[in-house]
Amino acid sequence: MAASEIHGHGQHAGMWVFPDATVISQDISAKTRSMPKPFTIALAVTGILFILGVVGFVARAADSGFDEIAPWGYYMAMFSMVFMVTSAAPLAAVAFRFTKSHWRRPLSRVSELFSIIGILNVAMFIPLMLVLPSLDNPAGVVEGQLELRRTIWIEGPIGAPLAWDFLGVLFLALTSMAILWVSAMPDMAESRDTATGFRGWVYRRLSSNWYGTKRQWNAQKAGLALLGAFYFMIMIFVHFEISSDYAQSLIPGWKDSIFPVIYSVTSIQMALGAILITMFIMRRWGGYEGYYGKAPFWSASKVLLGVTLLWIYHLFAFFITFWYGRMEVEQNIIKYLITDTYAIVFLVNLVFTFVAPFVILIWNPVRRSAWGPSLAGLLALIGGLAFNIRIFVGSANAAPGAKLYDSFMEHVPAPVYPDVWDVFMVIGGISAAIFIYLAASKLLPLLSLWEVKEGTMYQKWGKLFRGEYLILAKPE
Amino acid sequence: MANRPILGLFEKADDAADAGDALKSAGVDQKDYDFLTDAPYPEGAFGERHESHRLYIFPFVGALIGLTVGVMLTSMTQMAYPLVQGGKPILALPPMAVVTYESTMLTAIIFTIIGIIFESRLPSFKKGLYDTRITEGYIGVLVNVEEDQLNQTQTLLTQAGAIDVVRQSGGSAA
Repeated sequence: MAASEIHGHGQHAGMWVFPDATVISQDISAKTRSMPKPFTIALAVTGILFILGVVGFVARAADSGFDEIAPWGYYMAMFSMVFMVTSAAPLAAVAFRFTKSHWRRPLSRVSELFSIIGILNVAMFIPLMLVLPSLDNPAGVVEGQLELRRTIWIEGPIGAPLAWDFLGVLFLALTSMAILWVSAMPDMAESRDTATGFRGWVYRRLSSNWYGTKRQWNAQKAGLALLGAFYFMIMIFVHFEISSDYAQSLIPGWKDSIFPVIYSVTSIQMALGAILITMFIMRRWGGYEGYYGKAPFWSASKVLLGVTLLWIYHLFAFFITFWYGRMEVEQNIIKYLITDTYAIVFLVNLVFTFVAPFVILIWNPVRRSAWGPSLAGLLALIGGLAFNIRIFVGSANAAPGAKLYDSFMEHVPAPVYPDVWDVFMVIGGISAAIFIYLAASKLLPLLSLWEVKEGTMYQKWGKLFRGEYLILAKPE
Repeated sequence: MANRPILGLFEKADDAADAGDALKSAGVDQKDYDFLTDAPYPEGAFGERHESHRLYIFPFVGALIGLTVGVMLTSMTQMAYPLVQGGKPILALPPMAVVTYESTMLTAIIFTIIGIIFESRLPSFKKGLYDTRITEGYIGVLVNVEEDQLNQTQTLLTQAGAIDVVRQSGGSAA
């Protein structure tokens, strides 16, 4: 029997796939073990670029040290780019699992696997702790300046902001990896007796005593629900911390309750884009066509369209408040981040985050394809990079030295262009994330086996009236 | 006499459910047999007992501890260093919210992970009875019975439609 049967007719051709549950484990295990040439090349290229990023980092540290935040603007942008994608990606598995939808089953593991990059996020965050300026004005009480700069840490509680920021980033990574572990445990248990080498060693340690009893399945289900809920709650919070401490609070006088929301919405949009691109690549070239039908792309595209519209709504809400406010600082912030200093980067951000994905995703036939939503996702990632450069390079260079403790930004600064080390760090950091994901995909299968097998029990291709359709069972 | 495990392998869910019924009729306690599957089957698919868990207590306890620590940390800091900020009271809730929220979340997450490990009975250094055919969709009915009842249990499982019966020694018994 074939590993999978592909069904759907008319405009829904190829929409649904029905994998054969008896051969899924064997087939996916073979795919996980295999090292095709294009994969090896991608691993090598991203590995080399990763090293280039390390060279850029060391050179930047030797050149500029860690005393000033300004030279680290592009590093901050790169960190935030990787952080935004990888922190929000596991949320797709969590959120769509909550809705008990069937189309999300092939998408779950692709999104959960981004959790592994959390290790990189924690490591890359450490230098950012060194460069963040103190909350207290080092000059003490100075006329015309603030004694304590404006942040979310109103009275500067113990450990603020560094310890709390670090704990947030660390626990976000740990929670997402706990979700991955709980979700992948049944799949690892399947292969623990047959897998060899490092893979076998990991499987045996991380899935010991999992036998798939009723009690274990119940605990896993409840555990995933609880961890998922907490993950969502802490992710939004850490986004709030990063966007406040490393962006807003570095531009004197920038007070905006909408910006953390824009940050989270952009993050969710980019993460969904990255998941769709990964699925498209695996479907087109990785041999997963029998497991990823068009249904996950079609359904996820509607969510992507919704998030894209949310993004422009929040951007407009931010803009109109400052534009009508007409305070000097509000006008300066608009000039700095939108209309003057970083106008071109803003335009790239606007076109790739909203205009282009919107134009692509409003078309039904495009949404029903695998390439359409993936292309929109790719564009959203480019837009997201521009967003991060605009915001974080802008924030790091808005108020050099003692100006950070001014009440508001009195002059609009000039743009800061990247030097060669910045380019190395941005490319290297993004490549490091891809490298880790690729390596992780050889450790854990890119398909949640138990979830897809569960789906085969509840989804059948069968006769209804005079046609044949997807027939679903809903046990809950 | 000590209990020993025996595992029946079934191709069809209905046959596994029949085996469960047969064991129940033979007087085997429901706590002494379990269904092993490679995917979560719907509740009651094998006519099995309801498995309750207490996982929800763990994050609740954790959150309570984190909340207490957060409130104490922030309020004691404010009282130890009484700085008036923006004319607001020394002890005010909004500045406490950020730290309290984070500490509550962090301990709730730690306790949830501990809860999952405890409720799933993980990890164990003793290897249990298992058969890799379960990963191909077969359903395992794992029974723990006294040694002198092993043969009788094996017959029950075989009559219910088991395609194979496995014992602790490793070899097939049917």
